[in-house]
Order: sequence, then structure tokens, then C-alpha cells
Amino acid sequence: MDVFLLFGMVIAFLVVGVPIAISLGLSSILFLLMFSNSSLASIAQSLYNAMADHYTLLAIPFFILASSFMSTGGVAKRIVRFSIACVGHLRGGLAIAGVFACMIFAALSGSSPATVVAIGTIVIAAMREVGYTKEFAAGVICNAGTLGILIPPSIVMVVYASTVDVSVGRMFLAGVIPGLLAGVMLMIAIYVIATIKNMPKGEFQGWGEIWSSFREAFWGLMLIAIIMLGIYGTPWFVWDEDGFRLIWSKAFFTPTEAAAVASVYAFLVATFVYRDMGPLKADARAQSLSAAVVDADMPRPKSLFAAPWALVTALWHEDTRKTLFEAGKLTVTLMFIIANALILKHVLTDEQVPQNIASAMLDAGLGPITFLIVVNVILLIGGQFMEPSGLLVIVAPLVFPIAIELGIDPIHLGIIMVVNMEIGMITPPVGLNLFVTSGVAGMPMMAVVRAALPFLAVLFVFLILVTYVPAISIWLPTLLMGPEVIIR
Amino acid sequence: MSGASGFVPQGPLGRAMHHFEETGIAVILGSMTLITFVNVVLRKAFNSGLLWGLEVVSILFAWLVLFGMSYAVKVTAHLGVDALINVLPKERKKPFALVAVTCCLAYALLLMKGAWDYFANFANLPTTTGRIIPTGFEDMRPQDFKGYKETDVVPFPEWARGPLENWLLLEGDPSFENLPVVFGYLIVPVGAALLLYRLIQATGQILRDERDSLIVSHEAEEAVAEARAELENK
Repeated sequence: MDVFLLFGMVIAFLVVGVPIAISLGLSSILFLLMFSNSSLASIAQSLYNAMADHYTLLAIPFFILASSFMSTGGVAKRIVRFSIACVGHLRGGLAIAGVFACMIFAALSGSSPATVVAIGTIVIAAMREVGYTKEFAAGVICNAGTLGILIPPSIVMVVYASTVDVSVGRMFLAGVIPGLLAGVMLMIAIYVIATIKNMPKGEFQGWGEIWSSFREAFWGLMLIAIIMLGIYGTPWFVWDEDGFRLIWSKAFFTPTEAAAVASVYAFLVATFVYRDMGPLKADARAQSLSAAVVDADMPRPKSLFAAPWALVTALWHEDTRKTLFEAGKLTVTLMFIIANALILKHVLTDEQVPQNIASAMLDAGLGPITFLIVVNVILLIGGQFMEPSGLLVIVAPLVFPIAIELGIDPIHLGIIMVVNMEIGMITPPVGLNLFVTSGVAGMPMMAVVRAALPFLAVLFVFLILVTYVPAISIWLPTLLMGPEVIIR
Repeated sequence: MSGASGFVPQGPLGRAMHHFEETGIAVILGSMTLITFVNVVLRKAFNSGLLWGLEVVSILFAWLVLFGMSYAVKVTAHLGVDALINVLPKERKKPFALVAVTCCLAYALLLMKGAWDYFANFANLPTTTGRIIPTGFEDMRPQDFKGYKETDVVPFPEWARGPLENWLLLEGDPSFENLPVVFGYLIVPVGAALLLYRLIQATGQILRDERDSLIVSHEAEEAVAEARAELENK
């Protein structure tokens, strides 16, 4: 079977340490040169057109940029403060607040490791201060961090949507309920464990603290509103011949445009409102000096009125350049993988590989349930070794046509794949999030694995729910966007 | 985890190039964002828009990735699977790294030929002959002039019309309405050549034991080390 040769090459290259992108690209090129008469020029063309011809993929750099502006330490701190004010007074409250903060941060950023780093740094330190064990703290953050790819906007979902041609908007909506459900299930599990083990609980700091921390975090939270309401439209009042009515106004932007608007908004908030970066940032030298002397006398960031020229200089300020560059670098590495995966997808389509596998499966009498179990297993194993977008672009083109043949909803399949990779990231022996957490917390891998196990069990239950109850994923998009047209 | 290199450029030329690459990536992404944003504002608030906006942004997107792929080789930012090479003892990593970089070089060489052939077809230049290994350039006589394909809506820069048309067009050809696509495609051979160059450099570094892999396992590796230092200071 030619296809075994193709995937054999991909896996062999990956194992010896060839970058994912080049493993995919080189295997596809070699395969094409051996078994078809495509020219190398047509391969170079598809590499260029992967970017120039795919409007949906254009959302990826913008979402990455928005989350880079939002990932400055200040935003994460404000979100954690707001979460603690909301749920910190429960038994095990700080841990629950950690999950809550990860959920909010996940909605700002599209990546799981980034969520662990940003929220983990703050929450693990805070939890140890009030008497939680380091292991428990690491286990909580490691699991909650995986929500980063499930709660929209999610880069992985954009990748899925554009690889298999479904609507990004639908995928995002489909992630909302599973994301909330997973978060709530984790919180309940923590509450139960905390009650049994009699873990510390914080004090309720009053509605005043909730309100003032909300006001602080508001500008960050607004980003979520801009993206979601921009893509799906908002409730709106109209006054016409029928009288005063509440209507659902139509969408403002495409997801790509929403992402671009979100990045500009995030830049403005980070530079001119929070002033954690850019020309108005508080003087770093003053900060360290005063922190050593009196805490109360923290240096304030500069006021825009004191330096109005900052409106212009902020555009080429060193911090802006650095954030743009970091986001650009991440875009390059992700898109290089996706561009090469699109070459692989062409190979698979030309060879009719998925169709052949599908008919073989149908002939063998395998139904959708067996198929989904196979998908679960493949992704759980793959998710341990590989960054999720990379894994998705390899597996999606292969399983998608089979799923359609078997009558599985494309959106539902997308959510199953995302949840699977989430769990793959925290499944021992080598889940990616386990590595990140052990790095952040400075703990040995095995300690993190043990700490994460109880919550891993919770997410497994969640995976089974999501896999066999399609309504969890497709109810909301169908409600808001109407039933979906599936083209076979 | 392996990889996470705090890359430090060496020498004045190295530093200048490093700065140029990083600024280039930042400027391209910044312009893509601004053009898209301005277009949304124009459409929503003024019911107009930049017709060429989307096409220019798409071209810039290709430039970003194809220009940046070589930079990512230089600073070891490409994502990969390091589960196996991580469990190897340090002295056993070198053969694996050499096999990996050989595969990458093969990719870059194949891509280089493809990139040139693709570009040459739109630039009135001779393509290479041979299917896999270039055996030479095809003959190009004046009557083999291939003409220029134009972009859909990107306007031709009027200030450069004279010299550019003198250079590109033959006597009596109609003048350009839109920018020829070849300016966008230029990044394909340039990016492939840069990728090849950085991979040759990487091969040298592996041979001299200055680096032991080409990959990182996730995008936040640098941030993890920073976060850990911060957590331990608390």
C-alpha cells in the first residue's frame, strides 16, 4: 500500500528530529515524484498559494497577534484577581479561581502552553503561599491550561476549519458549550477533592472587590466581546413602522476581520489603557527602586496627556516591534507546517486514500462508533508527541472524508478532535502540557503526571460525553446560524 | 526540553542581518494588520474600501511565512517531535541531528529547483530542465517571450512605471494595468535560497557540536524558562 509508505516516511522523519513542516513536505514531494508526474514547480506554487489563496487562514496571524498583545503579564494578573474575587471564597477556592482564570485567558489566547505559562506563573505561586501543595497546584493548572484550544477563539479550530472547509464561525460557536462544560466539571472535581481533604478557603472579599477587579479586567474581557459579537452579531433595538423591537443584527465582520480588529484593539489597550508596554509604561528602574523601599509608592505609568506624542511613537516603539515580531515568528512556524500539510492533503486527495479507507471500513461493517474510537485513539497517542495544530493538519484530511461517509457531523468531528488533542497533551508518558507544567513549576515529570491524574479522569469522562452526545457541540451553532449544509 | 536556544548573533554583519530579519517580520505582520483594519473601518464607517487591500494582504502573508521560514531555522524555532531524541544521551544525538539536517537539505534543494521554475515562468526567465535534478537551463530565444500575468486588482506603482516597463516589456507591448504577479512570487525563490543557506549553516554547527537539534517541541519553550525563574524568585 502506497499510503503506508507515505505515512511511514512522515513518521520516520519526525522521529529523527526533522521539523514537522519539512517531514510533511519532503514525504509528499518524494511521493509525488515517485508515483505521479507532478512537477516541482507545482509544489512551490502550492506552498505560495497556501498563504496567498486561503482567506480563512489569514485569521491565524491576527489571532496570534491579538493574544500576544494580551499576554503581557498585566492582563493575566488582572484576570486572576477578578477570578479570585468571584470564586476564591469557596473551599479550594484558589484552585477553582485558577481554572476560571484559565478559561478566561483561553478566550483571549488560542494556545494551551501559553495559557499554562501566563496563568500558571501567577496562580501556582499564590496557591503555595496559602498552603496548597505544589503538586495539587501544578495538576490543576496543567489540566485547566488545555482549555486554551477548546474555548474560542482557538487557532487549532481555525486550522481545522480551513483544512476541511467548514465555517470558522460555526467551529467557534461549537466550542463554547464544551469549553464551559469542561471548565465546570474541573471546578466541581476540585471542590469535591478540596472538601474531602479540607483544603484552604479564602475569604469573601465582598462585591466591591468583584466590581473593582472587574473594572480593571474589563478592557481585556472586552476583547472576547468584540470577537464574538463581531462574528455573530449583537442584539439591537430598531424603531420602524412595526414599532420598537429587539432584533438580532447581522454579523459585523468575517472571523478574519474580527481577528484583525481584535489585534488593533489589543494593541491600543496594552499601550494606552493598561500601559504595561510601549512609551507610557512605568519606568522599570523606578519600579525596582521603589519596590525595594515602599510598596505603596509604586510608580504610575505615564499619562497620555503628559506625553501626547506617544500616540504616534507607540507605532514603532521597541515593545510594539517586539510583540509584532514574536507573533510573526509564531505565525511563521505554524503556517509553514500548515502550508506543507496542504501539499500532503493534495497527495491524499489525488490518491483517493480516504475514500479507499472509508469503503474498506464500511465493507468490514465498522460503524460510526468504532470509527470514532479509532479516531480517539490515534489522536490521544499523537497528541502526546506533537503540537496540536501540526497533528490536526495531518489527521484531519485523512479522517474527515471517512466521517462524512459515515454520516458524522463535520463540526462535531472537529470538536471531538480538539478535545482529544487536549487530553493527549496531558496524557502520560509524554504529554506536551505535562512538560510545560513541569518546566514552569520546576517539578519532575512524574510528579506532575501523578498530580494531573485525578483531573485527567474527569476530562476522560468529558471526552466520552462530547464524543457520543453530538448535541453538546452542534446545538448552539445550529441555533444561531441555522442548520448546516453538508456537501459530500 | 532540547532546543530553546537563546540565539545571539555574532559580528556586526550577523547583528545587522538579525535585526533586519526581525524587523522585516514585524513590519510585514504590522502592515497586514493595519491594511485589514483600515479596510474594515472604511467599509463599515464610510461605505468604501481599498479594493487592493485583500490581495496585498494575501501576498504579504506569503512573504511573511516564506521569508520567516529561514529565520526560524536560524534561531531553532521550528516545531518538531523531540520525544525520542530527548531520551538519548548527549553524545548519541549527533548522528540523529545529521540525518535530520540531511533530510532538510534534500527538501530545501528540491524546493529551490521548484521555486526557480515556478518563478521563472512568470518572470520571462529560463526554467531549468530535468525533472528532479536540474540539468541546465532551457533555451530562451526572443520569440519565447512569455509575457507577464498581472494581479487582479493591485495597481501598478505609477512612479516606477517608466523604468520598470523599459526593463520588462518589449517594444510595442501594451503597458501594465496592474502590478505583475511576479513581484509577489519573487519571495518563493528568495525564501527557498535563504532556507537552503540557513540549513547549510546549521549543518556546519551540528558538525562542530555547536547545536544538537533543529527543533523545539512547542512554541512557548523560551517563555517556560522565564516563567520558572520568576516562580522561583517568589
